[in-house]
Amino acid sequence: MGKFLLLAFRNIFRNRRRTLMTLMMVGGGVAGLLLAGGYFAFMTHGLRESTINDGLGHIQIFTADHFNRDEVRVLDTGIDNWRQVAATVRTGGHVRGVAPRIEFYGMVSNGTKATGFMGSAVDPNAEKSLGFISRVVAGRDLDAKPSGEVEALIGTGLAKSMNVKVGDGLTLLAMTSDGALNGVDVEIVGIVNLGIAEMDARYLRITLPAAQRLLQSDRVTNLVVGLDATENTDEVAAELAPRLHGLPQQLVLKKWIDLATYYKQVSAMFNGIFLFMGVIVFFMVLMSSVNTLLMSMFERTREIGTMLAMGTPRAWIVALLMLEAILLGAIGAAVGVAAGNLLGALLNASGLHMPPPPGYTASIPFRVLHVPAQMIGSSLLVIVSLALASILPAIRASRLQIAEALAHV
Amino acid sequence: MEEIVNVEAVSRRFPLDNFPTHHPAHSFVSALTEASLCVVAGEFLAIAGPSGSGKTTLLNLIGCIDQPTTGRILVDGVDTSTLKPNGMSKLRREKIGFVFQTFNLIPVFTAAENVEYPLLIQGVDSRERSERVADALSSVGLSARANQRPDLLSGGERQRVAVARAIVGRPALVLADEPTANLDTQNATQLIDLMHGLNRRLGLTFIFSTHDARLLEHTERIVRLCDGKIVSDETKEGGSRG
Repeated sequence: MGKFLLLAFRNIFRNRRRTLMTLMMVGGGVAGLLLAGGYFAFMTHGLRESTINDGLGHIQIFTADHFNRDEVRVLDTGIDNWRQVAATVRTGGHVRGVAPRIEFYGMVSNGTKATGFMGSAVDPNAEKSLGFISRVVAGRDLDAKPSGEVEALIGTGLAKSMNVKVGDGLTLLAMTSDGALNGVDVEIVGIVNLGIAEMDARYLRITLPAAQRLLQSDRVTNLVVGLDATENTDEVAAELAPRLHGLPQQLVLKKWIDLATYYKQVSAMFNGIFLFMGVIVFFMVLMSSVNTLLMSMFERTREIGTMLAMGTPRAWIVALLMLEAILLGAIGAAVGVAAGNLLGALLNASGLHMPPPPGYTASIPFRVLHVPAQMIGSSLLVIVSLALASILPAIRASRLQIAEALAHV
Repeated sequence: MEEIVNVEAVSRRFPLDNFPTHHPAHSFVSALTEASLCVVAGEFLAIAGPSGSGKTTLLNLIGCIDQPTTGRILVDGVDTSTLKPNGMSKLRREKIGFVFQTFNLIPVFTAAENVEYPLLIQGVDSRERSERVADALSSVGLSARANQRPDLLSGGERQRVAVARAIVGRPALVLADEPTANLDTQNATQLIDLMHGLNRRLGLTFIFSTHDARLLEHTERIVRLCDGKIVSDETKEGGSRG
């Protein structure tokens, strides 16, 4: 087997120029895939972390009835003993903090005009401790002090439609748990840009006590759990779920990936583009290698005839030619991985920036992540492609008529 | 004496078109017609004749790399017409050594690795392979060139490597098709002497083809072919077997 492998290895380098061309093509394909895949990985990783840090958190806890709730009386299905639940969660490993939230709906009025809003009530201190960022474009964030109870942040679209600015007052109206209409006055202390126009046109944020006063309930709709690292989400969720079952109210937990619809769509789009690029590289390597390997086989017709004449089993000839292609693919893949990583490192060091995406004002750095799974996947892709490309030449070689092959010039 | 090769009324025709053999328009050329020949163990036999006389065809048929149109050939007692491709392959691997006109060494292997190749496909273990390769190279006087690749060897040396490769598997029969055609007279004579020496020392049966009359002086038995037919079968002592 060793000699057979040696023969295959040496055969690869017989025609060095042709081998170099094949290696450049295979290596270029792998390097291209790694650069594109590494950039996509950086983008999805960045989107994942920004999605989590924008307030989604790593895990959210709801009551089991939350997803069948009446959107007018949201706290009917809220968590009533949420402080006890939060305390239970905080005792677990990897937990950085727990932030209570009330997601609610109502009407907002400036005295002359009223419109619907989508509200989020938060504990500013808990939000800050988890590193959640409010994208404030004017004014400031909510204050945790008692005076903050009358403060509100509103989306840019809502501010525009209500014709209000920082310092102006608004009246919020919402249905209490008893079915009565209740109202509170708030002062706009900041305007936020969420980056999504539909959200900005409806978004309003107040403090938790203000919302509880408005809704006449001390319940919350959900608890947002922040962890020390996103990679620990599954472990913490698995550890937390049985502990929640021991509490009086039936609770369910959702991991960030279950709630991050936009992230999943973007991630699926990047995966689709990467897959498409992989298919292109696969067929590019396949088509060009068939010709190269056939040429190589024709050039060695007499030698293959000699091997057959000496009694080499035809299956060995097939195996030899396929082994050569696989080795060529493996070397090409190694070259591609090295080149891809090197180019990626150079690009990362270059400080290149991409233009800001829609809804963002700052440009984003161009970075390429080195993803081992992509290196393995891209390498396997070209190796399989070359192995498939070698089937036709290998079968042709094994079917040579020995006498004719020996007379081949 | 033990019979190594028995060629019984063998003919080989090659089609000149793609028509089936029973089609009226089918045409063919006869490369060999009704050839019969018997070779016993330890013989050193030359097949002589001009180009196109059927020497290579006869050697190919004896070497199981082609099949006769009619007739049958027995190699070491095995009727080759009954063998399937894998059986033919096995017979060649175990019973026959080949020397080709153009040496046909594997260019990426060293001399020693080329000699080792037949043992590799026979499944001989590594230690025995090393010993037998060393013996074979020594018997052709090329021990010192064992690690050279073919492109660094002279024509004579390459053909001696090919002879070592042919004998290393201890075959019942060595077939050499015009082994001296690409060598100068001195190297050609040395090669025939080498093969003859191996024939005497190891008792190996050699059948080689040549169109060089000078080399026939070194041969005990000469089978002459002309236009695909055996026209004479003579021994050095002057006897005729045909």
